[in-house]
Amino acid sequence: MTTRIGLWRLTLLLTLLFGGVEQALANEPPIRIGVLSHRGDETTYRMWRPTAEYLAQAVHGRPFEIVPLDFDEVSEAVRFEEVDFVLVNPGIYVNLEVLCRVSRIATLNNLVGDEPRNVFGGVVFTRRDRTDINTFADLKGKHMMGVDETSLGGFQMAWREMREEGLDPYRDLASLRFGGIHDEVVMAVLSGEVDVGTVRTDILERMHSAGAVSLTDFKVLSPRLHPEFFFELSTRLYPEWPFSKLQHTPNELAQKVAVALLNMPDDHPAGRAGNYAGWTVPLDYQPVHELFQDLKLPPYAELGRFTLMDAMRKYWYWLLAGVVFILSMAFMTTWVARLNRELSRAKSRLERRHELILNSVADGIYGVDLQGNSTFVNRAMERITGWSAEELIGRNQHEILHHTHPDGSPHPPHECPVFATYRDSIPRFVDDDVFWKRDGSSFPVEYTSTPLKGEQGSTVGSVVVFRDISARKSAEEAARQHQMDLAHVGRLSTMGEMASGIAHEINQPLTAIATNAHACIRLLESPDVSHERVADVIERIAAQAERAGEIIRHLRQFVRKEQPERKELNINQLINEVVVLLKPELNKAGVRLRLELDEGLPMVHAQHIQIDQVILNLARNAIEAMQEVDASARVLTVQTASGGRNAVIVSVSDTGPGITDAVRGKLFDPFVTTKSTGMGLGLSISRGIIDAHKGTLYADSGPGRGALFRFTLPLDREEGEAK
Amino acid sequence: MKQESTVFVVDDDREVRDALQLLMESVGLPVETFGSAQEYLDRFDPERPGCLVLDIRMPGMSGLELQARLNAERIYPPIVIITGHGDVPMAVRAVQAGAVDFVQKPFNDQALLDSVHRAIERDAQQRGEVSRLRDIEERVRRLTPREREVMDLVIAGKRNKVIASEMNISQSTVEAHRAKVMEKMEADTLSSLMRMMLTLEALQGE
Repeated sequence: MTTRIGLWRLTLLLTLLFGGVEQALANEPPIRIGVLSHRGDETTYRMWRPTAEYLAQAVHGRPFEIVPLDFDEVSEAVRFEEVDFVLVNPGIYVNLEVLCRVSRIATLNNLVGDEPRNVFGGVVFTRRDRTDINTFADLKGKHMMGVDETSLGGFQMAWREMREEGLDPYRDLASLRFGGIHDEVVMAVLSGEVDVGTVRTDILERMHSAGAVSLTDFKVLSPRLHPEFFFELSTRLYPEWPFSKLQHTPNELAQKVAVALLNMPDDHPAGRAGNYAGWTVPLDYQPVHELFQDLKLPPYAELGRFTLMDAMRKYWYWLLAGVVFILSMAFMTTWVARLNRELSRAKSRLERRHELILNSVADGIYGVDLQGNSTFVNRAMERITGWSAEELIGRNQHEILHHTHPDGSPHPPHECPVFATYRDSIPRFVDDDVFWKRDGSSFPVEYTSTPLKGEQGSTVGSVVVFRDISARKSAEEAARQHQMDLAHVGRLSTMGEMASGIAHEINQPLTAIATNAHACIRLLESPDVSHERVADVIERIAAQAERAGEIIRHLRQFVRKEQPERKELNINQLINEVVVLLKPELNKAGVRLRLELDEGLPMVHAQHIQIDQVILNLARNAIEAMQEVDASARVLTVQTASGGRNAVIVSVSDTGPGITDAVRGKLFDPFVTTKSTGMGLGLSISRGIIDAHKGTLYADSGPGRGALFRFTLPLDREEGEAK
Repeated sequence: MKQESTVFVVDDDREVRDALQLLMESVGLPVETFGSAQEYLDRFDPERPGCLVLDIRMPGMSGLELQARLNAERIYPPIVIITGHGDVPMAVRAVQAGAVDFVQKPFNDQALLDSVHRAIERDAQQRGEVSRLRDIEERVRRLTPREREVMDLVIAGKRNKVIASEMNISQSTVEAHRAKVMEKMEADTLSSLMRMMLTLEALQGE
């Protein structure tokens, strides 16, 4: 069959490709009528060729051709447009109507005996001698044969009636077979091969007329009588075969064919050959639709036609694969379930451990979501802050914990480092802040705020770990106080050593003042006194008094007990102030001072007097060290420079003998001195001061190069960041 | 050719220097100021009369060092030392080395002016003595060796007879030499000649 269709297709293709045009002009392609070949191809040709010839004649002489189609060839022939019209049973027609949009143009008037009939039904019959079979109910457990599973009159009509009697031909029969053509079914029942058969109406009568069988050999089950229909039948009546056009068939041609068919006389030879009596206008095929709907047959359902057994037989390998699949799924499910149980056990174990760790650390730990609300807290946090977990969780941590700065000013949320952490996903360490307790008091804390990553890697909040640093703070405070006290003692001691020199320094302006004043008096006593001159002198006196006052101010400032506050300082300016105090010592020691100050020096955040003290200490040490060298070679150099972007460097160097290896190691130890006077605290105090400013103080020298002391002061980084 | 005495002020502190200048001017004394000992030395002229007001504590060359340098000179202005608060021991050393006086800062103007006047007087005196010395030396230089010998013996108090025998010459020759000495030395009496020679001895021996 397939080969023939293949050939057809090939022919058509070749025709279209190479010979299409010439042939169309010389000899138009035949119009093909597909005819269901339910009684064999030979019979089909014999019955329908005259009809084709009739049409050829009626429709302007175009050739018509009969194409016999088996049950299983019909839908393919229609789908691939291998035919232009089809003549099939109503069952197949209904399918084609739904699936391939064919439309009926005429219904056959079947000739039964001498009577034209355009309706037909099904006959379920057995041999007359089978007295055990009379109604559908008797069919249970019997062997049955139909024409084809898709044959309307030869099976499906009977099936619909059996179904209404509660019988399933696939389940309740001993066997169900199909003969392929009607004659085969009749012969099988006659020979006793099967118990019952089913064919369309008038088959038995025709075979009887042809002498093949005798009607008396059979009896019809559950016979029905219709007023207009005198054949014996077991089912409802359905419209006869329709003549249909395909979707691609030109409407003009379809109309011509329809007109030709309807105009065919009842007794036309073509009708005789086909055993019919002309055509009528197309009937309503709704009963056929209903039949298919009842039986859940195509086009209304694929299923229902097969029993489960049929399906299993037909699709056993799929079933097997399915069963294997289901089994393996079941196995997997069990495995996954067990895995899940293990995981959830491990998870709860981990959670317990987490909780144990969280609650046993001394530091407070809490989580924050993107709204700034606490998500969890540990026990230490409850203990330290006095807030309970219930009071904290779900509430805004910033508003509870650090709403206010230590100085009482409000701490706006947008400055909160915890918020900032999940805004920019950068971990933060804050070493100096306060948290507020439930009782309204605050305590100093250091804390880290680490961004919390979600499964997609995005930040979903942060975790804060904090520590109460009250104890450390007070220790720091004590250390700072000690350092300040020591520095103060050091300054007093230094001042004691410098007193005479400074007295001299104050004496200078005082001398000038006194001398000028006396001179002034003498000038005034002289007869030719010039007022301008006197005013000029008095002006000088005022300036000199200021100079003396300035020295005394520096002196007092230097010996004062300093408040522990840091200010923005210009180190160059500070060095110039120190030089005022230093001048007498420089003069006395015959030391030349060289200042190399970097004008572009940034400001540093430091304690004024303490830095004064360091510079003074270093300078005095340098002056003293140079006593051993020739007076002309005594040079003290004070240099400032900015060290990169984050520090200021101050160097104090001399042209003395330098630092010996013996002293070098204990240079900064307290009470180590090479001088006859002084406590030997200068360098140790200086280092303490610079350390407290987070800078470094160190000595550097080589033999014969003099000593060089250098310290660095870091710029205030927080300040820099804030900008 | 007689020059006015000038007050030379050496102090590293400009304010003090200017004040001293004003003070000297207010009493009509000519004054010159120097910022350092070296500056004074560079412009030093032994012929100029006056006095030196010297700060003892200065960077570079100190007052004491300058004094030591001037002591090597044949003549220089007398020195008034001005000292600061703690420099009294140094001032004492300066006076021992020949300074006229010291005054402590801040000073009483009258005390300072008195010291300055004293120093100027001393300078004038010094300068007078020096010129007399020069006269006597000049006269001595005019004597012949024999006359010098005779004069030395006369000053030693020896009579003519003794001198004649010691020199192995006649008594009349001694008398002639002696008259020549008195004439050349411009001495009217023996005692004036003796005073002249004592002065020479004393000044040269300094």
